Amino acid sequence: MTNETSTEETVTSPAGDVPVPRIERAASSPAVNSVPNVIETRGMSVFYGDFLAVADVSLDFAKNQISALIGPSGCGKSTVLRSLNRMNDLVPTARTVGEVHYHGENIYAEGIDPVRVRRTIGMVFQKPNPFPKSIHDNIAWGAKVNGFKGNKTDMEGLVEEALRAAALWDEVKDKLADSGYSLSGGQQQRLCIARAIATKPDVILMDEPCSSLDPIATLRIEELMLELKENYSIIIVTHNMQQAARVSDKTAFFNVKLDDTGMRTGRLVEYSPTDQLFTSPREKDTEDYITGRFG
Amino acid sequence: MTDIKDTNVHFHQELEELERKVLSMVDRAEQMVDMAVEAVTTDDVDLAAEVIERDNGIDQTYLEVHQDWTALMARNQPMGSDLRRMTSLIQLNVTFERMGDQCVNIAKIAQFNAGLPRVERICEQIREMRDLVRPMIRTAIEAYVRADLDEARLLPAMDHPVDRLNANMYKETVAVRDNPKLLEWATKMLMVSRALERVGDQAVDFAEQTAYLITGEWVEFDEEGLARVLNDSDD
Repeated sequence: MTNETSTEETVTSPAGDVPVPRIERAASSPAVNSVPNVIETRGMSVFYGDFLAVADVSLDFAKNQISALIGPSGCGKSTVLRSLNRMNDLVPTARTVGEVHYHGENIYAEGIDPVRVRRTIGMVFQKPNPFPKSIHDNIAWGAKVNGFKGNKTDMEGLVEEALRAAALWDEVKDKLADSGYSLSGGQQQRLCIARAIATKPDVILMDEPCSSLDPIATLRIEELMLELKENYSIIIVTHNMQQAARVSDKTAFFNVKLDDTGMRTGRLVEYSPTDQLFTSPREKDTEDYITGRFG
Repeated sequence: MTDIKDTNVHFHQELEELERKVLSMVDRAEQMVDMAVEAVTTDDVDLAAEVIERDNGIDQTYLEVHQDWTALMARNQPMGSDLRRMTSLIQLNVTFERMGDQCVNIAKIAQFNAGLPRVERICEQIREMRDLVRPMIRTAIEAYVRADLDEARLLPAMDHPVDRLNANMYKETVAVRDNPKLLEWATKMLMVSRALERVGDQAVDFAEQTAYLITGEWVEFDEEGLARVLNDSDD
């Protein structure tokens, strides 16, 4: 393929801010579009009272992939994440407009049970939050609350399966009766991931899951994410760009935009394959952010 | 948004310092090409020895840049155009080191060939190749410094006459096959021709790296200097 350059599309020059030509790209491979989506947002905006926190987000999250949401503080990335399983319903002033489709079904449609949504679209939070119960019961209790119907043997099997899936079994199998709080921060976070897995979700949302962990514990969670994506679809919010670069298949960059009234609203700037976004982003805002040039 | 400010000032300063250090090798590489060709075409063994000595300086800078580059990479984990600039710098560092090595190869041939009978026509052709290759180095570096894609794309056309002269050198060598002493000398000059041709190729390769720096696309220039995209990150 031979291409002339096009001056239509520009990126930032190494000198900083001089628009430079891009060589025309080949059309995207059809294979990219053949991965089915688990969640699709269409024109989604989220308000807290009158404040428009994030506006007009349309994103597709692919099955068995890790999708990362990055951006500066206040860009709305966590708000977007919490809207994907109606966790924002628990914030009294929060209001989501637009549509969020889970396997084609709008989870904000009338009659949809948010508890059922959160069961199939699980969540892991920034700070590990085990229940004040034993390691065993952290898994078993969550499963029971979510309608687990098996006998004791089935439950033991479920606990082991979830702990194995979260790469924690070997470390805790001999102390299942100990408190969840007795574990290290990294182990507690993996316990929370095991608890989420035990409800047999389809999608796992992770809101800065490693922000309170040391680098080794962080690497273990990242390794775990790469193993889990074989069976689950993962969407992660992270303020750590290197983490997004290491683990994700696609990355969405959000930025804060000021409107005429001075209101700061989060907007989706770019959603690209991770390799591309961190080496040759399409948008200048993305380039400025990932190279530390930021207003 | 407020005005853009650089929150990564120290990294960008260190990157510029590293870039200056790499670019300090341009003049030295050009001079070494000049000196090596002069030595081999005039039987100047002292000049040849100086080329070999100067290459130690290039090698020293190469090692320092490699160490600084590795530390800068480990500490900053750059992304976007910063990452592309870092990859271009390490490629440029390697390019200069290899150009120095090619000059050393020529200088060693100058030492070997000294005193052997010669064919002035072949010496003229080697000088002609030098006059073609030297501006290629300068053009490739200026394209990088100015982030000028059009300038980078000049390189393949500049390389064509070098390739033609290199191919012609085989004919010149075969032409002296009946004189064993001349043939021994000319066979070594064939290697000089090949070394200069490699320096030209290295300049073209670096121009392609510059195209990546500017556009974010991995390209290989075709004969007209147009770019063929090697891989597409959308795939």
